Amino acid sequence: MLQFLASGIAIGCVYGMIGMALAITFYVTRIINFAQGQLMMVTVMVTAELVGQGYSPWVGVAAGLAASAVVGVLSYLIAVRPILAFNRFGFGWLVSTLGFAAIVENAAAYFWGPTSIPFPTILNSTSVHFGDAAVLTGQQILAIVVALLAGVAFELVRRHTLFGKIGMATAADPEMASAFGINTKTVAMVAFAASALLAGLAGVMIGPSTFANPYLGDTFGTYGFIAMMIGGGTERPITALYGGILLGISAEGANAFVNSRASDWFPFLVLALILVVSPRGLFSSTGPLARLRPVRAGR
Amino acid sequence: MTAARIKKLDPSGASLPQPSFRRGALLGGLAIVAYLVLTFFVAKANLSIQSVVLVAAVFAVLAISLDLVAGMLGLYSLGQGGFFGIGAYVTTILAGQFGWDVFLLLFVVLAVTGVAGALVGAMSLRVSGLHFAITTFIVTLVLTVLETNLEITGGLQGQLGPAFPDFPKVLSGLGAPVAWCIMLALLLCVGLVWNIRRSPLYPVLLSIRDAEPFAEAAGVRTSLIKVGLFSLSAAIAGGAGWLFSFLGVVSPGQFDWSVSLNVLVMVLVGGINTTFGPIIGAMFVSMFPVVVNINPWIQEILYGALSIAAITFLPEGVIGVGRRLLAGKRSGATPAATDARPPEAIAAGDPSVEIVAHGGEVIVRRAPLDEIMLECRGIECGYGRGPKVLRGVDLVVRRGEIHGLIGPNGSGKSTLANVIAGRLTPTAGTVILKSQPVNGQPPSSRAKLGLRRTFQAAELVREITTAQNVTVGLYDRIPGIVRRAALWPMLPSGRRDTAITQRQAVDSLVAVGAAEWASERVGDVPHGIEQLTQLAAVCIAAPDILILDEPATGLSAREVAHLARILADLRSQGVTMIIIEHQTRFLFPLCDQVTVLNLGEVILTGTADEVRAHPVVRQVYLGE
Repeated sequence: MLQFLASGIAIGCVYGMIGMALAITFYVTRIINFAQGQLMMVTVMVTAELVGQGYSPWVGVAAGLAASAVVGVLSYLIAVRPILAFNRFGFGWLVSTLGFAAIVENAAAYFWGPTSIPFPTILNSTSVHFGDAAVLTGQQILAIVVALLAGVAFELVRRHTLFGKIGMATAADPEMASAFGINTKTVAMVAFAASALLAGLAGVMIGPSTFANPYLGDTFGTYGFIAMMIGGGTERPITALYGGILLGISAEGANAFVNSRASDWFPFLVLALILVVSPRGLFSSTGPLARLRPVRAGR
Repeated sequence: MTAARIKKLDPSGASLPQPSFRRGALLGGLAIVAYLVLTFFVAKANLSIQSVVLVAAVFAVLAISLDLVAGMLGLYSLGQGGFFGIGAYVTTILAGQFGWDVFLLLFVVLAVTGVAGALVGAMSLRVSGLHFAITTFIVTLVLTVLETNLEITGGLQGQLGPAFPDFPKVLSGLGAPVAWCIMLALLLCVGLVWNIRRSPLYPVLLSIRDAEPFAEAAGVRTSLIKVGLFSLSAAIAGGAGWLFSFLGVVSPGQFDWSVSLNVLVMVLVGGINTTFGPIIGAMFVSMFPVVVNINPWIQEILYGALSIAAITFLPEGVIGVGRRLLAGKRSGATPAATDARPPEAIAAGDPSVEIVAHGGEVIVRRAPLDEIMLECRGIECGYGRGPKVLRGVDLVVRRGEIHGLIGPNGSGKSTLANVIAGRLTPTAGTVILKSQPVNGQPPSSRAKLGLRRTFQAAELVREITTAQNVTVGLYDRIPGIVRRAALWPMLPSGRRDTAITQRQAVDSLVAVGAAEWASERVGDVPHGIEQLTQLAAVCIAAPDILILDEPATGLSAREVAHLARILADLRSQGVTMIIIEHQTRFLFPLCDQVTVLNLGEVILTGTADEVRAHPVVRQVYLGE
């Protein structure tokens, strides 16, 4: 009984981290980076490759995260900035971030081949018993801890530091923000790097159980997106974590109570229901997405 | 009274632009014949060429269905892949497992996807912009999951679609019937979009997209039109699915979210809101893997790079770039809007003749009638949790009077205008329009009662001409504007009404003194002309009561004087007006009554002289 809750929370935290990563870049640029899952994949592949060559897992993970951050900044410079410069309210970014995702994914598949390669086990071999009720691997507990830390850290930065407020200002109105002397380009690049790091961390958490595969980004990108949508976490990225946990529990619960394939469709049902009830997500009080439209006088 | 004022279009003096229509019909006919010849060769071609062309054609239909909502209404639907899938699966399952007739299934598919589109539209249009895209995206996700996991769909492998019935013997020389079916369907869709683009509905749709308050104030029920057009778009996508099911295996991967996004790529690459852009985009995207036949991963990388390059370097799409190149070549050619204008319209409505001739009557003011046109009782209104912007505002406007509304910035003038016009719902109080309480009625219903308004910051469509913007004001004067749009330029009545509306729009612009701007795009005109265009768009509807929100902003001294003459002239025709304005020198001589607002409360209502003399007004407003 408690087992599905525990493992649901663990996998949900991974989805939630990707959701938060999506939310961070959305927060600053008002676009959804469809290459987010691929940024996670970059960390997983680079780590697996380096460890496969005999480097220590620490070196591998550090290099993997750095690689994701670099690719994340590149995704902003190549696929986001030029498009927003032309039309901040258009939808061209949808095409360009998707194109960027295709480039990264297929480059990885070309380089490593389409099959999975081993990933270091990290804490996956240790297991922790919670009485008779549930068993979690050390890796799962690590995922929960890292996700919670990341969520809390992000909230603290957003609310209590100047950089967080600069981010908010850039999100609300980039032109006004740059009139105050904020370098919006730097703010956005930092946000994309942070977001890619978070996605990469999610990859390190899940890597030991999925192994390294170039197409990993598709599945986890989609689930991260759903986590963000359930949470409605575009104004407060931490709500994406709540959404992810809910998603994880509903997927594991469906597996436990319906059948072993139910996790393929049940979360989508949950998502559809939630959006019928609350189109802006469960945890959002206001409608941050509504601000996308230019504000006009007399409204 | 209402019925009398809502007059139909006046057909007198409408002359059909016959020669240009004949030439257009001839060219169109030639194009269709050429297209049919092409179809004949496709139908006779070998299977590999045929399948490439037909898949591209199906995707072109799909891209047109998206452009219909994305281009004309700004609704970026990512549900097209989902509706496409519904069409294909309904056809395959009902034809293959239950033996239904495929032609009957076309109607079933159109109905099912149309209803599904209306439901999704009604649900997701509660939120706009990006959220609409995301909600429809999730619809596609859910449908793909269902297609993968249900028993009846055949899971990931999918199932073979039905065979298209053969031609009868007589026609067997024509080649593959499925090729004819798909190519004709594409022709039909192009025709539909072509017609809508040439109907008076087109500026209305663009105004819903770019200036929704303007459209609502002209009497357009915008959400109904959005849901309706989205339903049509879903039905076309479903029809594309019906066509697609004849081309081979139907499996979930062909309808997932990446298909929705690819359709958007097609539209954006080809050129959004163009008739042929989606087709060019569909050809590029669907033929790319066939033409560039290399290592599949390299091919995908190249495709990704090309789509980024296309969206970065051709943000207006192929057609947009082509248009700009062409426009450079033949600059100086007169746009279509002015072609249809009979030359006498200019002379008849020349401001220097007409207004001066009216000059004598303007000064002789008729006393306002006692009938109350508009009454506000105890209006309270605020934004969010902030302080109340209006507190217990009472206002009485009698028929035929000009009622000035003045007050310092932030005193609640525009808020009051929005409450009266229905854009804002007051927290307390009643608005009574022509002795009917209209609380809770949307702006479009109030427009039908003869209320029109302009906006402080002009709400207009920048990419079309001022004259086309003015025709939006005629929305509820053109019978069957929505119903006839699909066939408009082909109907003699449609061509006649187009000629009339264009002439009336130009006349209306002439009357407000913006004649020389009639064929300029709103994006290219100065601020003052935007104001005059708004005024023309409300005057063309012959309203009973007008709310003008700072109409003199941005006008030159000469234009302000001209505006005063126009307003006086409207008043002599019995139009009731509420004018918000800061330029009291312009406003006071016009007004029968002036109401002064300060901090959301009415300080005083009286004649201009009373207001000018009042000590509190002098203090808060004139700053003494």
